[in-house]
Amino acid sequence: MSGDLERRYRRVLRLLPGYYRRQWEEDMVTAFLESSLTGDPEEDEFAIEYGRPSWAEVASVAGLAARLYLGGVGAPRRYFAWGQAVRHAVLAVILGHAVLALGGCVYLAWAHHLIGWLPAPPARLLLGLSGADGTVWPAVWYAIGYAYIVIYVALILGYYRTAQITAVLAVTPDLVYLLQQQLTYHQPSQSGPWAGFILFDLAPVLAMAAFHRDAPPVGRRPWLLALPAGFVLLAVPMLAAQVTGHASWVPGYSGLACILVAIACLVHVPRIRSGKAMHSGAWSLSLTLLAIVAGVVRFAWLVEQLHDPKLVTEGWTELVVMTVAVMLVAPDAVRAQATVCAPPPSPARQ
Amino acid sequence: MSGQAFFVLTALADRPLHGYGIVGEVAELSRGRVKLKIGSLYGVLDRLAAEGLIEPDREEAHEGRLRRYYRLTRDGRLALAEEAELRAATARVVRVRLGLAGEEAAG
Repeated sequence: MSGDLERRYRRVLRLLPGYYRRQWEEDMVTAFLESSLTGDPEEDEFAIEYGRPSWAEVASVAGLAARLYLGGVGAPRRYFAWGQAVRHAVLAVILGHAVLALGGCVYLAWAHHLIGWLPAPPARLLLGLSGADGTVWPAVWYAIGYAYIVIYVALILGYYRTAQITAVLAVTPDLVYLLQQQLTYHQPSQSGPWAGFILFDLAPVLAMAAFHRDAPPVGRRPWLLALPAGFVLLAVPMLAAQVTGHASWVPGYSGLACILVAIACLVHVPRIRSGKAMHSGAWSLSLTLLAIVAGVVRFAWLVEQLHDPKLVTEGWTELVVMTVAVMLVAPDAVRAQATVCAPPPSPARQ
Repeated sequence: MSGQAFFVLTALADRPLHGYGIVGEVAELSRGRVKLKIGSLYGVLDRLAAEGLIEPDREEAHEGRLRRYYRLTRDGRLALAEEAELRAATARVVRVRLGLAGEEAAG
């Protein structure tokens, strides 16, 4: 009993990690072939010779592969390290979105005089608030911002499905907007916005696959505190810079991401050296991933700014500073795959 | 316990089964509502095995291939019994709240 059907199914099973295939592949192939047979000799012969696994069958193997590669409780060290690294990276990116959204909420409240003790904001800052360009996009951006706060809190509290569905809804308008800009205005170069969309918006949604049933619970307290802390340390200074007429001091979002990753790396280095922090290796791996993401987006924007030597210098400076900082944590990131241990599974979790 | 894990443990409650046997038994137990794909089945089986709730029973040759059978462990029986009790208690509450408990007793 061997034919194209078996060959094709084995090809699909190559999505799974080697250690898992060694243990389960033959069993899976037997069960799959048996489930594909109908009992009619002619039909079965045709299915075995020419059949292929259904999309649902392929999707079930792909889902299993995502859970195994981005491992959780009970996973081998290497896969647990990657799982934790991706989970931290997703939370960090969503935190960035949520902090900026919180800044937007406060700004909107301020502009509508809901924060009574503050003086009215300067008139020039109110221009872009209410869709002065005649489009709905400003309102959409605010709605998306609120959605990111929901996504962030849902991930921390363990409502993974809610977070995933909301995230899909949140990235869709961005895609529509980019396509509209591309098709309506025939803009020649959109590498920066597209790279930002793919790596800062879409990739975290896909990477939320790391938040599965085996994922260890997120540390609620530090991550929840990170939202107001990020607001005070990031959104408030940015708002202050705009109000005081120093908006040019604030880098673009890709440059800002590079600077934040560089700072995070520098803060993390003493934790690595102290050897006290649990799972510091997973954090080093996260920061390395974030540096790659931020670096690619910053470079894509740099390509669009080649006409302006000042922007080019700024862009290279941000990239070089981040690269130097990430080199300090990269060795620990490499070691993480052998040193980070997953907690053992417990029957109570089922 | 997830619905899939509950059905798989229930399928193995009275006798060891091989992979495809479990798929069929789960479909029957759930009256066709749960149709496990093979990737999903082995995702559940390896998790249950890692948690010590099931274990391999034996291997048998069938049409040139080896079928591996699985059985419940003692911990698996306990976990399934606890889950069944929890679900039964919930079902009783649902029937009472829907006003069906009296009808059943009368019927």
